[in-house]
Amino acid sequence: MKMFSVAHKTVFVVDHCPYMAESSRQQVECDVLTKSRAQGVIPLAPVSKSLWTCAVECSMEYCRILYDVYPKDKLVNYIVSDSEFHILNSWRRGDQSTHELMSALAAVGPPNPCEDPECCSILHGLVAAVESLCKITELQHEKRTALMDTAERVANRGRIICLTNAKSDTHVRMLEDCIQETILDQNKLAAGSDRLMGIQQCELVLVHIYPQGEDTLVSDRPKKEISPLLTSEVHSVRAGRHLASKLNILVQQHFDLASTTITNIPMKPTLNVCEQEEQHANTSANYDVELLHHRDAHLEFFKSGDLHMAGTSTRENSFKETVTLKWCTPRTNNIELHYCTGAYRISPTDVNSRPSSCLTNFLLNGRSVLLEQPRKSGSKVISHMLSSHGGEIFLHVLNSNRSTLEDPPSISEGCGGRVTDYRITDFGEFMRENRLTPVAESSHDPSGKVPVERAKAQLERYTRYWPMIISQTTIFNMQAVVPLANLIVKETLTEEDVLTCQKTVYNLVDMERKNDPLPISTVGSRGKGPKRDEQYRIMWNELETLVKTHAGATDRHQRVLDCIIACRSKPPEEEERKKRGRKREDREDRAEKNGSKEMEDKSWQDSERLKGLLEKGEQDAEVIKDSPDSPEPLNKKPRLMVDEVQPPERAKGPVSLLSLWTNRITAANSRKHQEFVGRVSSVNNKFELYQHLKEENGMDVHENGKASR
Amino acid sequence: MPTVVLMDVSLSMTRPVSLDGSEEFQRKNLAVHGLNMLFEHMASNYRLEFTALMAFSSLWELLVPFTRDYNALQEALSSLEDYDKTCIEAALNGVNNVVQQEWGSGCPCQVVLVTDGSLGIGKGSLRHSLQTLKHRGEDKKFPLPFPFPTKLYILCIANSEELQMTDAMDNLEHLLCLSGGDGQIFTMEGPLCMKSVQTMFGRLIDHAYSPFHAVLHCGNLSSDVQVFPRPEPMVVDEEVEPMPRVVSTDVDEVGAAATDELEDEPSATQMAGKSPNFCVLLHGSLKVEGMVALVQLGPEWYGMLYSQADSKKKSNLMMSLFEPGSEPLPWLGKISYLGPVSEAAENPYGEDDSKSPFPVQPPAKRSYAQNVTVWIKASGLQADVQKILRNARKLPDKTQTFYKELNRMRKAALAFGFLELLKGVADLLERECTLLPDSAHPDAAFQLSHAAQQLKLASTGDSQYADFDHNIAPMHTDFSTSVSSTRR
Repeated sequence: MKMFSVAHKTVFVVDHCPYMAESSRQQVECDVLTKSRAQGVIPLAPVSKSLWTCAVECSMEYCRILYDVYPKDKLVNYIVSDSEFHILNSWRRGDQSTHELMSALAAVGPPNPCEDPECCSILHGLVAAVESLCKITELQHEKRTALMDTAERVANRGRIICLTNAKSDTHVRMLEDCIQETILDQNKLAAGSDRLMGIQQCELVLVHIYPQGEDTLVSDRPKKEISPLLTSEVHSVRAGRHLASKLNILVQQHFDLASTTITNIPMKPTLNVCEQEEQHANTSANYDVELLHHRDAHLEFFKSGDLHMAGTSTRENSFKETVTLKWCTPRTNNIELHYCTGAYRISPTDVNSRPSSCLTNFLLNGRSVLLEQPRKSGSKVISHMLSSHGGEIFLHVLNSNRSTLEDPPSISEGCGGRVTDYRITDFGEFMRENRLTPVAESSHDPSGKVPVERAKAQLERYTRYWPMIISQTTIFNMQAVVPLANLIVKETLTEEDVLTCQKTVYNLVDMERKNDPLPISTVGSRGKGPKRDEQYRIMWNELETLVKTHAGATDRHQRVLDCIIACRSKPPEEEERKKRGRKREDREDRAEKNGSKEMEDKSWQDSERLKGLLEKGEQDAEVIKDSPDSPEPLNKKPRLMVDEVQPPERAKGPVSLLSLWTNRITAANSRKHQEFVGRVSSVNNKFELYQHLKEENGMDVHENGKASR
Repeated sequence: MPTVVLMDVSLSMTRPVSLDGSEEFQRKNLAVHGLNMLFEHMASNYRLEFTALMAFSSLWELLVPFTRDYNALQEALSSLEDYDKTCIEAALNGVNNVVQQEWGSGCPCQVVLVTDGSLGIGKGSLRHSLQTLKHRGEDKKFPLPFPFPTKLYILCIANSEELQMTDAMDNLEHLLCLSGGDGQIFTMEGPLCMKSVQTMFGRLIDHAYSPFHAVLHCGNLSSDVQVFPRPEPMVVDEEVEPMPRVVSTDVDEVGAAATDELEDEPSATQMAGKSPNFCVLLHGSLKVEGMVALVQLGPEWYGMLYSQADSKKKSNLMMSLFEPGSEPLPWLGKISYLGPVSEAAENPYGEDDSKSPFPVQPPAKRSYAQNVTVWIKASGLQADVQKILRNARKLPDKTQTFYKELNRMRKAALAFGFLELLKGVADLLERECTLLPDSAHPDAAFQLSHAAQQLKLASTGDSQYADFDHNIAPMHTDFSTSVSSTRR
């Protein structure tokens, strides 16, 4: 259905002339006497509805079904006509409910039989209906505004359902002519107005209502074109249930609905579907409930010609088709739901009958019902499911054929599928922190961003530094870093947040002083892994990398970074002393620390490399052997970094005997051979090896050996 | 989208192709060459596609049922035999049967018809089929359009000049039009040779069988992905939005929230999967947490990602596309109005994950959830009246329910202009009053006559008493509290 088909706007025009106060002559016995009380009591005379009552309740039923299935933007405008017209509601979304209409109808009351019939006419209402169709709806306005220069794509079509008692076929023709003329007049008016739209198509459905037992003066007529703008059809119906079933058929035709009858609903004993009321219902009879919904829910049946097989029945008295589906006892196993191909709102045909309300309450309480297509062969095919979401019941279509999605490849066969130490739990936590929640449309955000954009901005912040595997990170494996890591990703920090971050940093400094072990991964390296101070160096680098990505956000973020930089840098003497002390303990250690300044240079390279890793996903083979529980891999020490020659700055200080001796020997030796190319062109006594690889791969290779475990 | 390859094996396909010098080919050889190329392409770049191979002449035969085994398809091609004349209508009926049996009528299919453009003669020829279109009974309808959405690709082992000399081209265009217009006719350019048949099949591959590559973003984390089946462009409303919406290749993960069509496969090439990939991380966490991730596929087009496991312990990241629009699932509300939980004053999921902000309740309740009054069937009216009477007999215990039901009935009667009913029920209540047993609580009689009087007033239609929003309140009597306690 197009957005602006005739179904977008429906005007009900209901005759309120004195004649409509006449009885429909269909009597309802509302005093049902029970046997025990029958003696000596005179039963109340049966009541009968007027033509007006019949018209109103059937039109309300039409609206009820319509609003159930299309809660939005299938609009009704209700007009009552006697000596003048009364418009009971507007096209506004807020006016679209049966309760609103019932309230307005009560205010109008039944027709006054004493009014002068000469003054009264349905024509007042019909003219008002055409005028109303020219009025723009909220959706039309929104779309016209959104489309701007292609606003003419927004069409204006509508349907007028006229419930009246016409005098003759000639009378009907007169009404049609009058509508046609009014449309032309109104379109001229609309052409000169911004707030009105000309009518492009109008469908008149005239329902002539006459009392039971009378002959009709108006003949049925199928849809015919009066003009390119107007089509008209006439239905001549007796008041009462005939009128009800006529409007039920019309609402289905007008809004592409179809009917499903759920059969075999067990009521009392086993399932306790219907617990309360009716004590006498101790039978285990099975009930049927008819539901209306969009006809696409039957698409598979229509197309495959399976309709008959699916149990179509033309039911007595109602002349309409319904597909029968069998209730399947609810199960907890809902594996079938994976191939749900659509969900459609439903409306029960007989909303307040006991079987209907039992079924709908059962569903509204959160249970689901699978529905089976009855087949002669005996094979069981589940084709639909009923279930509610947020107080609305939906008929879900399940794919009962083979699926093209069967046997998909496992994710472990693809890229990254063999890596085993993903931070699954951490990312689960990340997802929980980034969950979404509905935000009231009225709430205003100063940033001017809609909530979903703010959610995306948060994702961006939270992922600025987010290593995907355990062996790529130290800080996210440390409980001690958690408070800072949680806070630094925030858009703004409070003073208290900054304090917490600083405390975290001090705590880390403390840990370092106490020489506490760090969860550095040791995989892929021989021996015990990096020395403790090397571990801390890696940790500080990573922490700095994390905080740097946020430092630009606010001054407070910057202060956290400043704190880290200040705390991690130590006087070189202390470093040196520490180093020497440890050297004695570990003779095999051939590696030595750089001065702190160089360390910072390197730390930057390190973090750059880490980033490179994240992006390029370059990884060594050893990782595969790991399970998330195995010891973390360790960063192999780069031999290149071994500090064989004193950095120039250091030479300025007090010179040790060793360095004096070394320098002399080196100078002597250097005269005896040609210097290495690398040493000659080195910077800070460092020379990058395999530079050609870097050019080829576009990444930092010289530290590769140490990098990637 | 499964593919049916429909191969013409009529005698005309054995016509030799004149090539200067080299060995002699039949048109059939060219067709087989082209199809082999297609199958090889699919085996390496489109391997999740299910393909069936059918051969037809005046009869049709399913040579290979739907499979992902492209070797089997190629093998079958190598052993094609030659038969009699071309009868496309019968073959299309065959396609219809084969597809519906396997996939039902909802699954979109691609049909690749390979023919030489000589479309049969006399009865059973395409020309004859098209000429008799309008004079057919229900049971002999032309098979097109198929009940399932179809893309029809017609590959002619002939060049367009040749086809235009007869009415073959016109007939094929008519055929494409009948199938719904979605598809294309491919003809060979230049001389009929291996090279030009490759070019033609190459165009088909580019058009219909190129893998859909995209990038999945989650903030700064991202992953290259291949999506299969390819998400097809979609026209939402041909009037207001006549341009089809296309899934953008930059897919944004919006966030996590609380099934149906697409499979999202991280580029599953033969490369060793040793470097970490965001998709695998996401999949693992979605699976462990039992969550789904919301993805944005384009302007106002969303979908969700989740882990789906089959019975064989294999699990995989799936993407389901929602219908384009700002509010695809009513119980989530407008997607653009989903914001991060961190902004909420109080975690809507609860500190221990015991709550959820979903489903979003609709602004108005549906009729079945709000105790509406419908009297279309006499039984509905009778039930409502009996309910009032049942409660009337249990006054004063049931005072609240009695008035609630009474007011519900009153409202409906006023709206429907059914004043006669109000009077009738008033009479019934007065009768109940006279039938009260001696043991009845005195309050019962007061309430009954009060209710009856109020109904009578309303039944006059006088606006003073017939206000819709007015409720009849229980009569305040001294019995309500004091008497009942003394009696006890």
